[in-house]
Amino acid sequence: MSLSAAIRTAQSILSNTSKQTLVVSDNIANASNPNYARRAPTLQSDLGSALSVSVQRTENKLLLSQSLDSISISQAQMTVSDGFARLKATLGGNDNELSPSRYLGNLQTALQTLAATPNNTTLAATVVSSAKDLADNLNNASAAVQQLRLDADLAIREGVERLNGLLGEFEQTNQVVIAGTLSGDDVSQALDKRDTLLREISTLVGIRTIERTGNDLAIYTTGGQTLFETVPRSVNFVHTTGFDAATTGNAIYIDGVPLAIGQGVQTSAKGELAAHLQVRDSLALTYQNQLDEIARGLVATFAEHDQTASALPDLPGLFTWAGGTVPSTATIEPGMSASIAVNPALLPGSGDPLLLRDGGINGAAYVSNATGVAGFNNLLDSYVTGLSDPIDFDATALAGSRTSLIEYTSASIGWLEAGRSDASKASETRQAESTRILETYSRETGVNIDEEMTLMLKLEQSYKASTKLLATIDEMMNALLAAAR
Amino acid sequence: MKTTFVSTLAIQNAMRLTVQRTQSEIMDAQQEAVTRRHADIGLELGATSSRHISMTRDVERMNTTILGNALVTNRLSSSQNALTQMAEAAQTSLSALLSIVDINDQGRLSVISNTVADSLVNFTTFANASVNGEYLLAGVNTDVRPMADYFTPGSAAKTAFDAAYLAYFGHTQNDAAAANITAAQMDDFLTNHVEPLILGAGWGTDWSSADSTVMTSRISANEVVDSSATINADGPKAMAMASVIVAEMLATPLAEDTRSVLVDRATGYVGDAISGINHQKTALGLSEQRVEKANESINIQINVMSKYIGELEAVDHYEAATRLTTLITQMETSYQLTARIQQLSLTNYL
Repeated sequence: MSLSAAIRTAQSILSNTSKQTLVVSDNIANASNPNYARRAPTLQSDLGSALSVSVQRTENKLLLSQSLDSISISQAQMTVSDGFARLKATLGGNDNELSPSRYLGNLQTALQTLAATPNNTTLAATVVSSAKDLADNLNNASAAVQQLRLDADLAIREGVERLNGLLGEFEQTNQVVIAGTLSGDDVSQALDKRDTLLREISTLVGIRTIERTGNDLAIYTTGGQTLFETVPRSVNFVHTTGFDAATTGNAIYIDGVPLAIGQGVQTSAKGELAAHLQVRDSLALTYQNQLDEIARGLVATFAEHDQTASALPDLPGLFTWAGGTVPSTATIEPGMSASIAVNPALLPGSGDPLLLRDGGINGAAYVSNATGVAGFNNLLDSYVTGLSDPIDFDATALAGSRTSLIEYTSASIGWLEAGRSDASKASETRQAESTRILETYSRETGVNIDEEMTLMLKLEQSYKASTKLLATIDEMMNALLAAAR
Repeated sequence: MKTTFVSTLAIQNAMRLTVQRTQSEIMDAQQEAVTRRHADIGLELGATSSRHISMTRDVERMNTTILGNALVTNRLSSSQNALTQMAEAAQTSLSALLSIVDINDQGRLSVISNTVADSLVNFTTFANASVNGEYLLAGVNTDVRPMADYFTPGSAAKTAFDAAYLAYFGHTQNDAAAANITAAQMDDFLTNHVEPLILGAGWGTDWSSADSTVMTSRISANEVVDSSATINADGPKAMAMASVIVAEMLATPLAEDTRSVLVDRATGYVGDAISGINHQKTALGLSEQRVEKANESINIQINVMSKYIGELEAVDHYEAATRLTTLITQMETSYQLTARIQQLSLTNYL
């Protein structure tokens, strides 16, 4: 009965070849799908000498976990770098045309010109209008910083929603994998889907995976919180609808534990969420603090002092703010830059710009030019030099602790540019690293069409051979039957 | 079984990052070659940006200082000019007084008296000189005309003098009784009754609306100079004193020795006036010199700083242009390679 056995073998060759062709065409179809891992059709012989095709999915778990890591790092760095770039945008272009530093410089030159001809009302009005520009600039900068914080908060809300959605999908896919593995089905497609989901999750938070029996996968964040173990854990975040300098944003709770915020310019954050937290709570807030310190410095420098030796408190002069006092030295007054304004007593229309020369915005006790002479410029000159005299700043704002106001505004830009420069460089290298790892991963697990084509040729040959075999056996059978007739 | 170690996707994407980066570098290099500054100064300088900004602002401020100094120089030289004219007026009075040969020739005396009175008018005009709407010799009280005109009908200074004369001698200046005034009486009258009116407290009330403090101007970051003068100084006061006593009493019927006391005293006052005004001129001259020196040093500073700013922000535009060429070549190569690699497929040969 060996001829019928030969027919069976030839038949199995046919079925194996068509199965292999199916896998090969599947591979070719997915050649440009970055989330597809190549399937290798291999022949294996069972004990009963029949050959069967088993499909193996190319995997490289080490490279996968490395690529997940690099995705989350580069994503976080990009977010931080974007945060710096958005702060820089509030300063204008290459010459920092819109920076408080520039506006303060303009105010100082206007003051200096007025001090040279102190009875010139037009020049006094010019000083007041440059002061108004500066105050408006600080208001706008503060608003832009708070908008950045609000946007970061919104991005966190979206990110958390997406993360919860992804974890839900992950649960379904994971169940398919487990069930398929149990029943011995081909789960390659589900595994592809699962890897894709992992990659998407890792853009949001840094993750580690642990594979357990039955192809089950558990996900933990790099910080140690459980994201998924059999069932997805809840990720909670309450969005804050409006921000000002005193607002504290809410934390992200993963499985009840708050997510740590990123630290440093080369951020320690992994994944977008921690980086957005860093932008919202560290980066933007530091810059806001610097703006507030500039505002406080302005109110203090232009404050009016008691001239009557009756120990009256200093009161705001050219610049005033919502608090209406001169705040104590070297302490950040949150939100001051949002409310700083030019004293209405000096604005042309509602007041007299020349009060700046004479003093007395706050009443007779504060008049410096007692005789009211037109050429009095001592007070103006003291403002000009006051801007360059060192005063104390709150060191927690990270732009210096004892320096002149005008230098402080430059130092603030220095802080920002140093951060932006480092963050942008780090972002470039980290992105390149991530691209390289993905490339390596794709080399390992991706499809090479040329290879599939050669495989196809091989399959074609064996298909042809087996049909030839069938025909030959058929002829032999016919010959045998004719002989027996 | 997998025999190759590169996937089609990897081949196709190999150039992607390179092309991306090259494109953005081309944009930067293009901008740098044209503007000769870094495309993004902040990104390039990092923390050093703060120094760049400070210096740029300092240069701007120093330019403003130089503009302000031009204003100061203008005020100083105008004041200098006014004081020169005033000194000349005093000189005219002095020459007139010294030209008295015959002390009893009434005709000559009234000519001299008129000359001295005219000099005072002249003197007053220059003391009230103004530039840019500022009275130059008013001290800091620049918006008020500093010196009152003595000869204006009803002027406070003349009224005060007339009253003092009448109170002391019991008659008016041109009364014949003036001939009885003794030299001692005249001396006492001048010292104890006229001087307080003009050299003393009376100056501030009847003569001058100026402030005794002169204008000061900051001419460099740490130098402040006096930039105007005031008539509340010995020179102008002495000139007024001399002019008033000569104009009021020289041509009156005084005794010879009394008149000679008057002329001596008047000559002395005019001498004081000239030296006092010259003193003021010297002080202004010193300020002028300081301004010049300050401008010189500021200009040097501006040059040095501009040079350093240039070093910070400038790029070698030749280098940028070469870089641009290299980058474009690189881009072309990578486009060509990508195109050729895309064609490289077994499918084409089957």
